[in-house]
Amino acid sequence: MRVPLAWLRDYVELPADPAAVAEMLALLGFPVAAIEKRPVITGVIAGRIAELGKHPNADRLQVGRIEVGDGAPLTIATAATNVAAGQTIAVATIGARLPKLTIERRKMRGLESEGMMISAEELALPDEWFEDGIMQFEESLQPGTDVVEYFRLSEAVLDVEITSNRVDAMSLIGLARELAAYQNVPLRAPELSNPGEGAGGAKANVTIESPDCRRFVSQIFTGVRSGSSPAWMRIRLALAGQRPINRLVDISNYVMLETAQPLHFYDAAKIPNHHLIVRDAREGERFVALDGSERELSPQALVIASETSAECLAGLMGARSSEVTDQTAELILESANFSGARIRRTAGQLGFRTEASSRHEKSLAPALTAVGAARAAQLLVQAGAMPHEPVAFGQPLSAAAPIDFKISDVKRLLGYDLPPQEITERLDGLGFKVEPADGMLRVVPPEWRTDVTCSADVIEEIARMAGYDLIASEIPAVRAHEIASGDYRRERKVATTLAALGYREIVTYSLHGVQVYDKIRRAGVEPPARPVEVQNPLSEEQRYMRHSLGPAMLTHLARANGPDRAFEIGRIFYTEDRQPLETPMVFFAFSAAPQNEPEWHDENFLRAKGDCEAFLRAMTGRSRFETAADERDGFHPGKTGVVLMDGREIAVVGEVDPRLVRTFGVRLPVYACRMILSALPPYDVPQFQPPSKFPSTYRDLALVCDADVPAQRLESALRTAAGAWCTAATAFDEYRGSQVPAGKKSIAIRVTLQKPDATMTDAEADAVIEQAVSTLRADFGVTLRA
Amino acid sequence: MNLVDNLEDLRARFEDALKNSAGAGSLDAVRVAFLGRSGEVTAVRRSIGKLPPAERPAAGQRINEAVEKMERALDEAQANAEALEVGASLSQRIDATFPAVPPRQGSIHPMKRVMHDVCAYFERHGFAVVVGPEIEPDYYNFDALNIPPDHPAREGFDSFFLTPNLLLRPHTSPMQIRTMQQHRPPVAVVVPGTCYRRDAVDARHLYQFNQCEGLLIDEGVHMGHLKGMLTGMCREIFGAEQQVRFRPSYFPFTEPSAEVDTTCPLCRGAGGECRMCGGSGWIELGGAGMVHPNVLRNVDYDPDVYSGWAFGFGVERMALVRYDVDDIRRFFENDDAFLEQLA
Ligand SMILES: [Zn+2]
Repeated sequence: MRVPLAWLRDYVELPADPAAVAEMLALLGFPVAAIEKRPVITGVIAGRIAELGKHPNADRLQVGRIEVGDGAPLTIATAATNVAAGQTIAVATIGARLPKLTIERRKMRGLESEGMMISAEELALPDEWFEDGIMQFEESLQPGTDVVEYFRLSEAVLDVEITSNRVDAMSLIGLARELAAYQNVPLRAPELSNPGEGAGGAKANVTIESPDCRRFVSQIFTGVRSGSSPAWMRIRLALAGQRPINRLVDISNYVMLETAQPLHFYDAAKIPNHHLIVRDAREGERFVALDGSERELSPQALVIASETSAECLAGLMGARSSEVTDQTAELILESANFSGARIRRTAGQLGFRTEASSRHEKSLAPALTAVGAARAAQLLVQAGAMPHEPVAFGQPLSAAAPIDFKISDVKRLLGYDLPPQEITERLDGLGFKVEPADGMLRVVPPEWRTDVTCSADVIEEIARMAGYDLIASEIPAVRAHEIASGDYRRERKVATTLAALGYREIVTYSLHGVQVYDKIRRAGVEPPARPVEVQNPLSEEQRYMRHSLGPAMLTHLARANGPDRAFEIGRIFYTEDRQPLETPMVFFAFSAAPQNEPEWHDENFLRAKGDCEAFLRAMTGRSRFETAADERDGFHPGKTGVVLMDGREIAVVGEVDPRLVRTFGVRLPVYACRMILSALPPYDVPQFQPPSKFPSTYRDLALVCDADVPAQRLESALRTAAGAWCTAATAFDEYRGSQVPAGKKSIAIRVTLQKPDATMTDAEADAVIEQAVSTLRADFGVTLRA
Repeated sequence: MNLVDNLEDLRARFEDALKNSAGAGSLDAVRVAFLGRSGEVTAVRRSIGKLPPAERPAAGQRINEAVEKMERALDEAQANAEALEVGASLSQRIDATFPAVPPRQGSIHPMKRVMHDVCAYFERHGFAVVVGPEIEPDYYNFDALNIPPDHPAREGFDSFFLTPNLLLRPHTSPMQIRTMQQHRPPVAVVVPGTCYRRDAVDARHLYQFNQCEGLLIDEGVHMGHLKGMLTGMCREIFGAEQQVRFRPSYFPFTEPSAEVDTTCPLCRGAGGECRMCGGSGWIELGGAGMVHPNVLRNVDYDPDVYSGWAFGFGVERMALVRYDVDDIRRFFENDDAFLEQLA
């Protein structure tokens, strides 16, 4: 909310420095987003045009003799056309400083001009909101009056943020009340009696058909004259960000800014029988708002209607048909209270908001209806209108329920003690009524506060007034509890392990556009059939939830100039039984130059597998893993393995489908490993096996077998066949080609043998090997390569 | 050939081999060839068997003498060769200023590092770290947190919806409810995790971000404990001199509520023309407060017995301040230069 400091100072004594006021507001819970300083303007005074005539040498100029109080009248030429003798206008005298210029003595077409008649723009006011031409003042403003000082135009404007629970403070008086209580100085609020009270006269009849209108104060004013508002009101409204319209509309806006209660004025001549009905809109009911916009309503909207048509969208905006104009002589005031939820829903559905609705939708206090009406009545009377009796319709005002508040709760929740006397004073400053009652205080919130309903709310009020700085830092002694950190610790260990293995962590967006699926499809791969879709994305780039960490990883690797390595820990999303579900994953990958190697071998794959096994070893404490060749979406059909532990799949490792790699713009082959975080077995502490003291020996075997026999099967068959003395059987070379028959390969495996209690002799070793080889010959048809 | 000639011939060939050997390594080969188990000397020794028994002791004696000489010569040659090698090594001169060969090193994402540091701080003080789903029903996101339907505060959590009542969590606070539903007090947890809000993206705003939530519930827990823990956390993340300031604020799930500020680490609170804090000397971290009695009631905790606090801070924002990053979007761009500098 824009708060002109000059206006705020009407109600409360404040420090001169706007920054000090802003700081105070921040410490009260109303942070100031910006302090808008006003430009320095000097030498501008009010002048009365005593005479006005044509410039002797220029058709398009006029020359005025301007009375400026004590000094001699000034002769000033102007090109403006909205000037006339008798007007009181803004005059910049010689030497005056304006935002963009300094006034000097100068000749205009041979005639010396002793100053300049100026417009709202030269006073740094939004000129499109003021008269076209020279700024006009009321006759009552004495010529010679310093304009900047009189209208306090040098005072800053604060942009104050008001939390949604404090709609009462979306007003000048509301904020002034807070500042007064905080500084312990009086609040100078306008006296709020309605001049129509007891006046009798005409009454507007209101029928409330909807429970969403809780209260409606109506009041008729006759002898109304519109026209433009006095300069002080127009300037205040403009600085507060509200466009001045005419005297009547300006009064309703002024009262809303001052008291938080939005008002609406109807031209009484347009309301048959002076009868207003608060009801649901009819399906398809047309409504032309006073800004000219046209809408078709649904029963969702609440309207205030005459007997014939909707005349106001409740809480939002009035209708053009009963708008007050310069011809309006009699008006009906509406100061009403609506259900905040209803107004918010309607505003959301119709897609428009107003200053009024931004207050209504936060649920104003019903008691403010009388306040708003009274203040408007005062201003209308000042403007020459005649007030009639205000009439309240709807639910009677009920006093707020008292809150029994334990004094000891201050210490319990804030950590410090305050004497009851001080608590009472603090609350009193904010308008609360406090009565002591047996270790407790019985607290009744003021009628304008609907947000204080329990003891904790009262404590916050006390803390705000005493100052949050009174809360002293203390480290709690946290008692032992049973809550475990398992999942998070695993995630953190995954990250540190992969970082240690040389991978760089990335964090990417979980939402993406349809382009990702287009790319996948272009690669000849089927995208997920039922992706998780966001119903209300801000842009099409946020339409879908990622089904894999792969696309973002490929996009990342595509940006690198050469080989790169990265990992990501994050959730993927999918649909099952129409339910959107999520799973935390880890995905690591590297891009690497292809090696010059035969088609049946890929060193980069073995590196990826090595990283995967090292990772699994750190995570699980195990050191032996089985891999089975397999196919998986997104991976190369012939270069992919699944890693099994106790027969359960825990990881997929392989080359990423080269079609995807290419479509996502990576110029090098990519190898990756993906794991479901929750599928990772828990860490199993490895147990020490004392190694044999006796030397081991080994035999290297070159076995010729069918090309499709996996090395891992030969290894494990050898280990089994070689018996208990075999400590390892590890393939270390592979050959296919002219030296072995077609469809065959030669695999070199080193078998290591060791006895726990003696040195193994060559003869023993040879016997074991011979036995093992003959078993393999029988089971796999292997032969020893010569 | 007789034995003497044999030995003579052996000695000559041994000396040749010694002369031709280069360095300590090839001396081993000479040793094996002549003195090894199946070396030349062994062959000569075997020939003793062919001699008449009376000549055998003398022959053995001569062979032993020859072997002794060869061994001495070998040892000497060995010592010389090693001395030469060490000498050659010591005379080497390299350029120690030449750039290092970098190890293959990965890194933790800077935002995640801040998250880990925050969690580690709270773990040291007895808090557990729990994580929860990113898709949450509106009950956990709002209703249980004292934000009923039509509450104006729901607008502050402008959320992405997947179904009419399932949404991407706009804050980590649903885990407050889940944790309290599963455990009785004392409850002491931090909740790191990804959140989503329909915010327009700019240098200070993201639609996807990470939050770190904290929750402590027990008898006698007050707002001073919150300030104490947050001050400690800020000192861990930003520096030893950090101060923490509370300002009143409003969140439906806490009462009293506070905005938490910490000293601007760049200007150390001086303000002025500081680009980090805009001259206020303070950095806004996020919201906090005493858990609202209605929230405690929603999980069957008695608010007259138990009290506690919660906070929720944006992790990217903390990282932005800690590493003086100019644009918050960088935390999702994964630019190599960015990750490398903050590795
Ligand atoms: Zn700073």
